Amino acid sequence: MLGFVARRLLYLVPVLVAVSLLTFLIASLLPGDLAYVILGDQATPEKVEALRHDLGLDQPVWWRYVSWLGHVLQGDFGRSFRTGQTVLQAVAERLPVSIELMILAEIIGLAIGVPLAIACAVRNGSAFDRFMTGTAFGMLSVPTFLSAILLIYLFAVELRWLPATGYMPFEEDPIGNLRFFVMPALTLALAEWPGIMRVLRSDMIATLQEDYIALAKAKGLKASRILFVHALKPSSLTLVTVTGINIGRLIGGTVIVETIFALPGIGRLLVGAIYTRDLIILQGVVLLVAAGFVVMNFIVDMLYAVLDPRIRHGLA
Amino acid sequence: MKAVSRWRALARIFLSTAFCVAWFAGAANAQKQGGSITVGLELDIPGFDPLKVGVYDTSAETAAAAIFDTLTYLDDKGEAQPKLALSWTHSDDFKTWTFKLRPGVKFHDGTPFNAEAVKANFDRQKDPANKCRCAFYIAFIHDLQAPDELTVVYNLNDPSVNLPAIVTLQNSNYVMQSPTAWKTRGDDYSRNPVGTGPYILKSWAAGDRMVLERNPDYWNKGHPYLDRIVLKPLPDAQSRFASLQSGEADIVWDDEYDADNIQKAQKDPKMTVHIYAGAGAQVYAFNTKAAPFDDVRVRQALVMAIDRKKMSQAITNGLSRTASNPYGDGSWVKCKDDGALPNDLEKAKALIKDYGKPVEFKMIVTATPRGRNVGQVLQQFWKQVGANMEIEQIDQATVVPRAFMRQFQLTPWRIIDFADPDPQMYANFHTGSPVALANYSNPELDRLLEHARTTADTAKRIDDYCAVSRLINQEAIWFWTFQNTYYAISSAKLKGLPKIYGGVIDVSNVWME
Repeated sequence: MLGFVARRLLYLVPVLVAVSLLTFLIASLLPGDLAYVILGDQATPEKVEALRHDLGLDQPVWWRYVSWLGHVLQGDFGRSFRTGQTVLQAVAERLPVSIELMILAEIIGLAIGVPLAIACAVRNGSAFDRFMTGTAFGMLSVPTFLSAILLIYLFAVELRWLPATGYMPFEEDPIGNLRFFVMPALTLALAEWPGIMRVLRSDMIATLQEDYIALAKAKGLKASRILFVHALKPSSLTLVTVTGINIGRLIGGTVIVETIFALPGIGRLLVGAIYTRDLIILQGVVLLVAAGFVVMNFIVDMLYAVLDPRIRHGLA
Repeated sequence: MKAVSRWRALARIFLSTAFCVAWFAGAANAQKQGGSITVGLELDIPGFDPLKVGVYDTSAETAAAAIFDTLTYLDDKGEAQPKLALSWTHSDDFKTWTFKLRPGVKFHDGTPFNAEAVKANFDRQKDPANKCRCAFYIAFIHDLQAPDELTVVYNLNDPSVNLPAIVTLQNSNYVMQSPTAWKTRGDDYSRNPVGTGPYILKSWAAGDRMVLERNPDYWNKGHPYLDRIVLKPLPDAQSRFASLQSGEADIVWDDEYDADNIQKAQKDPKMTVHIYAGAGAQVYAFNTKAAPFDDVRVRQALVMAIDRKKMSQAITNGLSRTASNPYGDGSWVKCKDDGALPNDLEKAKALIKDYGKPVEFKMIVTATPRGRNVGQVLQQFWKQVGANMEIEQIDQATVVPRAFMRQFQLTPWRIIDFADPDPQMYANFHTGSPVALANYSNPELDRLLEHARTTADTAKRIDDYCAVSRLINQEAIWFWTFQNTYYAISSAKLKGLPKIYGGVIDVSNVWME
């Protein structure tokens, strides 16, 4: 097991280097020289040159990358030219909001997707199964910005049950905090559950046809025990993968959802950085998010090993 | 006896005046004390230290208007009125202005507000070592002197006949910040601003709520009315409006590209749409040194081909107010004849024909939905008269350097809402200025602009600026499509909002019914 973990960890190094290189290149390839952005309508050639020198923009790209990476490795991701905040400060302020949002969205998505998948797998091919599979397909095609606005009109403007926008820190008022998260998390979950359901349903159908399930049935085990103990665990390998990859999609989703619901999370920080050309924040946040995603997938790989002993022992 | 009756008459006048004053004061009592409001702004506020953030955007200015004071404020007629300054005088050449300050004012941290504080604010921004992006906008001020506790002298490089109106701006240059606070707080100051204003910063969560509480020691007794103001960035236009509908926000920022919601709110008795028809305009500059715009006939033809009413309909449901000069309804410059070219397709076609060569050119538009929209509409107008325009979409941040380096044939620009036309008109049209984008030089135009900036008589200045407008319109070196209009939508209960000068929603003196 230890050897397995070490091998996987070693893979992370080249991935993270590639990620950092890409984020740096993308940020420096964006149109609009940072010096012009900072100087705005006072960008005389002399001032631009002086500022480019100050910012190190007159150095070759590879050198800028190496020195940026050097700073990053020492934990210095740079400072926003707009607010003077360091990237780590900005991220630390915003991260809890996005993490809470993603966890809640994933919980709601699983809570809808898993029971429906089991119900459909058991009644494979029935009218209920066909209806739910169709609905899932329909929900998959609804973009989050649309469902977000529809939810706002229904629950905030018409029914007035939930606030349309805003945020409340958990430590100030836990209930209030959840009220602000219901709609954003639901919006993301509405796009998540169909994927969860479809994957688990097909795996479950396959598992239910395995011989050992027939054996369990023949032994006279209770149907619920067969489903939740014998069938669910081996069927959830793909589900774990999907859930892991979903984290990446959810990060993308937070950009839209946090903007619409005015949640002060990472997504908003990113959008703001793009609008204001705050490249230091932009490349720092993208790198951290990408690193988070890579680490998340590493954890998923570890979970595989827990779920399936064959992987753990390098047999699969 | 006679003397007595004269006294009586005087007394009667005095009494009736006193009565009038009392009556007005009574009307003022209708303003309700207490309560709180939530303001929905467009953007996250980056901070308040000029050295860190450079210039404020309108969201930051809304907060600044509540936390800080300026020396003067702009009344609803567009004239400067006393705020932290009580009175002012100027030298004959308008290059020296002396302000007398209000005594007894203190910053929220107890630091006395005085001439030294005003000078410290200015010097900090002007100091080249500080490299403040804000310095550009005070380049016309040479230095500030503080001869005594309550006297500030502004020495200007260029004459300014309307300086008291310019220093009304609630931006990083002109709000008064506590020198003690920025010295002791250091890096943290930007997010812990200290002013003399009617509200004190209570708490501020990044990207979320900023809570301001009533300053109990505010120098203007009886003000402000509200106990608390909450400012929230609500970046999405739809959900911002939904927050107003559901009552979570009491007033929200808006613009004419959100025409649907503005028109919906206008029909809703529970809402008030605050509209300020500002000065300035959305403008476009021809590069008169680059073909085909080195020929006045081509420029005139293109301007004549534009049907601004149709364009407004297409872009903002008809909300955009058409512009025929650079000043706009919000300016005190009103022209009987601004020399605007008519919208005349036949004449335009004839001019192009007369020019003889094919008219083909590129126009810069910002790579945004709005930019593309405008570009496509203009493209259609110009096609009708036989001119082929190619749209070149570039990033907003790149428009400025391209314009500065004159790497364009036709570029968008903006004349912002401002209390006096001089700073922008002089910069945009005087020979040799870096933003005289048209590359056009005309001694008569220069003379008019110079005369207008050194003349105190408003009527004469209006004559000058109208002549400037006629000259530019006839030469068609720039053209204007729409005037600047600023919007806020509020609950109908919110009262006392002043004009939205420059797009700044100043809630520092509003009350809730």
